[in-house]
Amino acid sequence: MDASTLETLAVGLLALFTAGWFVLGGADIGTGMIAPYLGRGDAERRLVLTSFAPFFLGNEVWLVAAAGLLIGCFPDLEGELLSGQFAVVVPLLAGWVVRDAGLWLRGRTGGSRWRAGCDAAVVCGSWTVALAWGWLLAALFTGSVGAPAGGPVAVLTALAVAALFAAHGLGFAALRLTGDPYARARVLVGRGGRPWQTFALTGFLMAALPVAAGLGLPLRESAADGTTLAFLVPALLVVTPLLLAVQAWMWRTFRHRVTRPSYI
Amino acid sequence: MDPSLTFAGAPPAPETLDLARLQFALTAGGHFLFVALTLGLATLVACLQTRATLSGTVLHARMVRFWGQLYVINYAVGIVTGIVMEFQFGLSWSGLTHYAGDVFGASMALETVVAFFVESTFLGLWIFGWHRFNRWVHLTLIWVVTLTAYASAYWILVANGFLNNPVGHRESGGRLVFGDAAAVFTNPSTLLAFGHIVAGALLTAGFFMAGVSAYHLFKRSPEWEFFGRSLRVGVFVSLPALFVAAAFGGVQFAVMQPMKEAVFSAKAAEVARLQAEMAARFGPGDYVPSEALTRGAGILMLLAFALMMYLCIGGFVLACFKRTVFRFRLWHVVLMAAVPLPYVAMISGWVFREAGRQPWVVYGLLRTEDAVSSVSPGAMRTSLIVFTSLFALLAAVNVWLLVRHARVGPVDRGLGHDERAAERDPADSLAAASY
Repeated sequence: MDASTLETLAVGLLALFTAGWFVLGGADIGTGMIAPYLGRGDAERRLVLTSFAPFFLGNEVWLVAAAGLLIGCFPDLEGELLSGQFAVVVPLLAGWVVRDAGLWLRGRTGGSRWRAGCDAAVVCGSWTVALAWGWLLAALFTGSVGAPAGGPVAVLTALAVAALFAAHGLGFAALRLTGDPYARARVLVGRGGRPWQTFALTGFLMAALPVAAGLGLPLRESAADGTTLAFLVPALLVVTPLLLAVQAWMWRTFRHRVTRPSYI
Repeated sequence: MDPSLTFAGAPPAPETLDLARLQFALTAGGHFLFVALTLGLATLVACLQTRATLSGTVLHARMVRFWGQLYVINYAVGIVTGIVMEFQFGLSWSGLTHYAGDVFGASMALETVVAFFVESTFLGLWIFGWHRFNRWVHLTLIWVVTLTAYASAYWILVANGFLNNPVGHRESGGRLVFGDAAAVFTNPSTLLAFGHIVAGALLTAGFFMAGVSAYHLFKRSPEWEFFGRSLRVGVFVSLPALFVAAAFGGVQFAVMQPMKEAVFSAKAAEVARLQAEMAARFGPGDYVPSEALTRGAGILMLLAFALMMYLCIGGFVLACFKRTVFRFRLWHVVLMAAVPLPYVAMISGWVFREAGRQPWVVYGLLRTEDAVSSVSPGAMRTSLIVFTSLFALLAAVNVWLLVRHARVGPVDRGLGHDERAAERDPADSLAAASY
């Protein structure tokens, strides 16, 4: 394969994994954001978190893989982007850690206060991740890799992106939940259409966000040396169908609506 | 190559360098301590589950759930700290990704996509898929988690081995590129460290399992059979793990950077000679790593090893007799007190390895001070405070949870609890399902 083909394939892989996280990981972030609305009280909130609990580990690795692809295939851009967007990436990661900690720890010990604290960590962490992504996308849309976006554009983009995450999570909740939390999700989704239609629409928009941002990035110019891509890209292409198959198996296994709590 | 993308920012303040190093040391050190137990305990849980699947007895299945629960609690801190590590190279060390990213980044990419992606997805299937799969399928899940955890450790050590002993590369346009990929992936600094750390992780898990079991036997728990067996597993795993770790560790001294070896051995004349040699080769500068960290940490690791060797050999003999396993309470106390020892050895060994290669981030090629990102000291200080306080809190909560769950012993809730029975629990009851 010549260098140009390899670069195109590397860009394609990065788009796949990033868009994959926005569609799949974005759904559990969004559901986490609106958990206080969907679930009133301890037992209901546990059910809401259970709607995405079996998937959250398999979802967040899409973003970890995207970061790995960035450092492996576009190392220069990775350094420029992350150090340039330092003020955005630090809260994004902190929010991610807080949210995961809330999910991991919620069911591990006693009282209702502990669980309420963990729920708060999930909700606040999810909002932080969504808003930080909006802030980051504001910079990428305006072509500013080396410095965070500022002014009303940054604020409006952050809010709009966070709203999209929440809408996506709402659609996911309407497809996964039962009982009162389901009824609350259904009210907002609208009784007219089918829930999967809303979810497909928000999913399409979520996937479009990182792809649109990527169009403005100097990806090809910062691609790794040909010797790196020559073995990295084929190796990744061989593994990716297997990863997709494993993910499909995971989604198929836990496809039924949740009626009772699980490990979380 | 677009010239606007080259690393041409203003040189960062010296304070940023110190803060970035402190942040990396604390977050990587914290990550490493939790990963040590995760890697070892995953292996033991996979072995326990293999036995439980073959025998089909209730006791074996309960052992999988109890030790599996402790493994999953511990895993949580490893995973969230690991996420931050992944991004930290670009955040704080963009000079490294610029100069060596073409070589160094490839192993990070393979780690995330080939190893961690699979590990995490299968861990989710294992935790949430209890009672959903055929028992052989469920057993396969934990083995995939364990083997991909090893793969993950390998790829990270390919990156780390390259920083300690850069091989298989050539320089092109002021950056490092692959010369011989096979040499990068079979770097002795990688393979020896991999053997050393995998054995060290098993040792950590062995001491942990023996210590927790000893607590219950000391308390004369009614679960004497459960913990008697677990104690033996822990003790019998520890002895061979210790010798494998020592063998790989000993061989590493032969291929170590000469300066690290000289500082560790306190050979003043050799240190002065190497300093003069490196100053002549790389220009004026201080090429001697911190003696307190290098020599201090190296000696601490060896002391911990010596102590563990006596405990492992003695323990191996004592564990052969039923009477001592169940009745020798002084030994139970020693086993409980010894749980931190492998952690001391692991972390001091890591400090020895990493502090001893300073002032280089890529040995002989890139100095640490030239790798740090152009970030203001204020921003770096904020990030240091955010991540270290978050991780310290998480680590404290997790240690507390581990102790709590370990003390309670095997219970019929948490990991592997059959959800289909949950309706009986009033706390879990919800309005009738409708949608």
